[in-house]
Amino acid sequence: MIIGEWIRRLGYLLRRRKWEDELRQEMDSHRAQMGAPPAFGNTLRLREEARDAWGWRWLDELAQDARFAWRTLRHSPGFTLTAIVTLALGIGVNIGMFSLINGLLLRPLYAGADDVFGVHSRSTMPSGRNRALSYPNYRDIREGTTDIFANLAASFTGFVGLDFGDGARSTYASAVTANYFQVFTAPPAYGRSFTAEEEQPGAGIRVAIISYSIWEEHGADPAMLGRHVRINGEQFTVVGVARKGFAGTSIPGPGVWLPLGAHETFSTEDGTRRTFGTREAPTLSVVGRLQPGMAAETAAPALATVGRRLEQAFPSINAGYSLAMSRPSGRLIFMPGGSGALTGVLLMLMPAIVLLVACLNLADLLLARGHGRRQELAIRSSLGGGRSRLVRQLLTEGFLLALTGGAVGLVVSTWATAKLVASLGPMLPVVVSLPDVGLDWRVFLGTVAFSLVATLIFSAGPALSLTRRAAAADLKRHAGDEGRGRAGAGIGNALVIGQIALSLLLLSSGGLFVTSVIRTAAADPGFRLDGGLVVVVDPALAGYDEARGRQAHLALLDRLRTVPGVEVVTIGSRPPFMSSGDSRKVAPFGFAQDEPAGADDSRSTSVGAVFSVVGRDYARVLGLPQLSGRDFRDAEMVPGSGERVAIIDDALAEKLWPGADALGRLIQFLDAKGPDARQPIRVIGIIPAVKHSPGNPQPYPHVYVPLGQHYESAMTLQLRVAGGVSEEDMLSTISRVVRDVDERLPVLSVATWRNHLNASSDVRLQATAAGVFSAFGGIALLLAGLGVYGVKSYVVSRRTREFGIRIAIGAHPRALLWQVLRDGGRTTTIGIGIGLLLALGAGQFLQGSLYGVNSIEPVVLVTAPLILLASSLLASYIPARRATKVDPMVALRSE
Amino acid sequence: MAKRDVQQGTLALIVLKILEVLGPLHGYGIARRIEQISGKLLAVNQGTLYPVLLKLEQEGAVASEWGTSENNRRARFYRLTAGGRKQLRAQTQEWAQTTALMDRFITAKAEDLA
Repeated sequence: MIIGEWIRRLGYLLRRRKWEDELRQEMDSHRAQMGAPPAFGNTLRLREEARDAWGWRWLDELAQDARFAWRTLRHSPGFTLTAIVTLALGIGVNIGMFSLINGLLLRPLYAGADDVFGVHSRSTMPSGRNRALSYPNYRDIREGTTDIFANLAASFTGFVGLDFGDGARSTYASAVTANYFQVFTAPPAYGRSFTAEEEQPGAGIRVAIISYSIWEEHGADPAMLGRHVRINGEQFTVVGVARKGFAGTSIPGPGVWLPLGAHETFSTEDGTRRTFGTREAPTLSVVGRLQPGMAAETAAPALATVGRRLEQAFPSINAGYSLAMSRPSGRLIFMPGGSGALTGVLLMLMPAIVLLVACLNLADLLLARGHGRRQELAIRSSLGGGRSRLVRQLLTEGFLLALTGGAVGLVVSTWATAKLVASLGPMLPVVVSLPDVGLDWRVFLGTVAFSLVATLIFSAGPALSLTRRAAAADLKRHAGDEGRGRAGAGIGNALVIGQIALSLLLLSSGGLFVTSVIRTAAADPGFRLDGGLVVVVDPALAGYDEARGRQAHLALLDRLRTVPGVEVVTIGSRPPFMSSGDSRKVAPFGFAQDEPAGADDSRSTSVGAVFSVVGRDYARVLGLPQLSGRDFRDAEMVPGSGERVAIIDDALAEKLWPGADALGRLIQFLDAKGPDARQPIRVIGIIPAVKHSPGNPQPYPHVYVPLGQHYESAMTLQLRVAGGVSEEDMLSTISRVVRDVDERLPVLSVATWRNHLNASSDVRLQATAAGVFSAFGGIALLLAGLGVYGVKSYVVSRRTREFGIRIAIGAHPRALLWQVLRDGGRTTTIGIGIGLLLALGAGQFLQGSLYGVNSIEPVVLVTAPLILLASSLLASYIPARRATKVDPMVALRSE
Repeated sequence: MAKRDVQQGTLALIVLKILEVLGPLHGYGIARRIEQISGKLLAVNQGTLYPVLLKLEQEGAVASEWGTSENNRRARFYRLTAGGRKQLRAQTQEWAQTTALMDRFITAKAEDLA
């Protein structure tokens, strides 16, 4: 019954013209037959009533409202433009943030994700650990499950050095089977997938598929296919470009894919090659798409059966393991540690606050405008417009504005977000495929939702308040007479106070971050920054083992020493001020040998210290004096030099032997493994402490061991140029020299000390936050200024008659000026008071993400309110001046 | 006695009843019958019929199709549907109850209430 009714209604909606024509014909025909005497009634009105029966009146009214709103808005272009710009700003920043969240969290990683499952070898022990699979095991499973999985692919992920001829960058990479892209129904955008031949273990066919974002980063060159790149020093040919945003099973995804047969290009941390192809080497993750119509509940037991067969066939490796399915791991969001996550959440909240300020601003504008439209509303309500109809009309008008603002915001923010994400690519320490943050239906829906929410916030209040008053009172009154009463002004002031308070919150948060960035840049790291250069190399990325890696390090050191203009060179596993660091628990040797695991830290005799492998002259390069003892010797730069030695800093010495001389004593590493474990190490020198990271102002204990006694592949060569030589000028020379020494060596970075620090993720995060908060604060400030201006202009224009009379009876214009300014000042002061409380609260939250900044930062807490006060006074001053210019005669005659 | 206006609900019932008794009819025909049966006591603005007819059609109580009238005019004929028959029965009963009730009040005498 109900459904039938709706079908008929829909039928009418689709063919309304025909239906209405027929109704008219029918009525005409009726009239014609009727002859004179009996009455038919008003045809037009009857047709209207009939239309009601069809049940689409609300739609007609909506269209009417929209048309009317359009006309109204077109007649006041100034207001409309202001409103649209305000909304575009407010909604735009939210869309931008939403697109980021959408790209990272909401957008499905691939089509038909419900049918994609990971396959693991799972221990049948109660602990139930998952294990990766070896290639032969994977092949057996693939062949045994063709009725379960339409495609079953395997992959191995790790990091490689990827070099397009402009220097190698550490890149997240994945070696995959030929059918990998089919599992995700995402064939490459250009070029081809890998072949079965390329997948075979030991095939060694060097082809690669690069991610779409890397392709874009390299100029989106159509000639990319067939181009040669170096991966871990070996020459590969690009045969494909992955689909835009394709990331496999994780976000962020690999920057480059290799065929599984080129798997041996990957190297391990210590420079040895990986073995692959034997049943004993479980290194692969397996993921598959179920056959169409196959349910996960049916697939799991079938898979377990295959697992049992494998267990019986190869008990030596498969005993105690069955096969299990699970959802692939999904999204890996690399969030910088705790405080960074909080900053992230706050960054996501900021756009909402900007939108709130924009809405308050607009509510104010609408209220002011609405009072001017009182008469119009009164006439319409006296002509039979019900209150709900009037409210609906005003809301429609608001929504039309919001939607237009939203559309403008969408265009601008889509562009800005894409730019922002693209600019992040080169900054990241590791190359990955960047998420696609472009438009999709979620972003469109989000835009409509933001517009709707904004409409409710900014226009529901004014619409209800404007339609409340009795019509008669408004009809009698002249337009422009008296204006909004005391209550009306009160609402306006409250809105302005809200805007000012929220703006202050945003401004001061931005201020805190700016202060933090300034302090970070000016911070004394405890060593000389000027004249320093760094060269980051990683021989393992070129497939070098330890012996060749050591050779490369030493050759570079020797060659760089001879470059004219270079004063001194050293090498270190961890340049200071890079917050990521290897650390060791250091204790005096022969003491606390048997420290129980998990001992209370305060009673423990061990001290956590940053652990670095360094070359000769390390302290000299950093400009640190040798406090006591000696530097490392050349003999200690190569393995097998006899006694283990270390240099420690005074911070560590003071903690290990308070008040005593540490020189010549023995230390040990409690948590070292292998040959390093608990060996006596003699302290042969003491140097001053340096800071560990820009975020941590405390000097942190360090222990340095010589190059010959520990091997790490990724090393940073650190140089100091001679006085009078500019380090920027040296950059290109150094790059060339390094390349000449070993063309295949992956050089990850050549930079000045200062740039290298600024590139650290800590500093980056701060600078980004400072930029974003300041931009939001700036927008909010602008909006608040406009808000104050709007309200004051309105008040002044409504009080023209009063001012006129006062001037006529002798009031000094300056007194009027003062009065308007004082009123404005009062509102602003209340707003600032509330805003300061909010700012203090936010400061508490932000403190963890800030460097060298207190939650109560006087500079910020004074400057931000002053900026607001000044702009608010300026915004009041212009209308106030107008008040003094009132011509009494004109003002009185206007009655 | 003055001519009376017909309330909308009543008019719907009248229309349904006429269609039940006389079978498919066009709008003008229905109006004529109402005039005829009421003996001109009921004055209907004949156009008022159409919103009622359309409403009934929306509710599924009547269905319509184009045809040719007795004097060769193109006209839309309305006929009762099964749903309409049910609605008519329910409304007739309701109406009978209401009038019976009203009747008792109107014919009540003082001694009955004592």
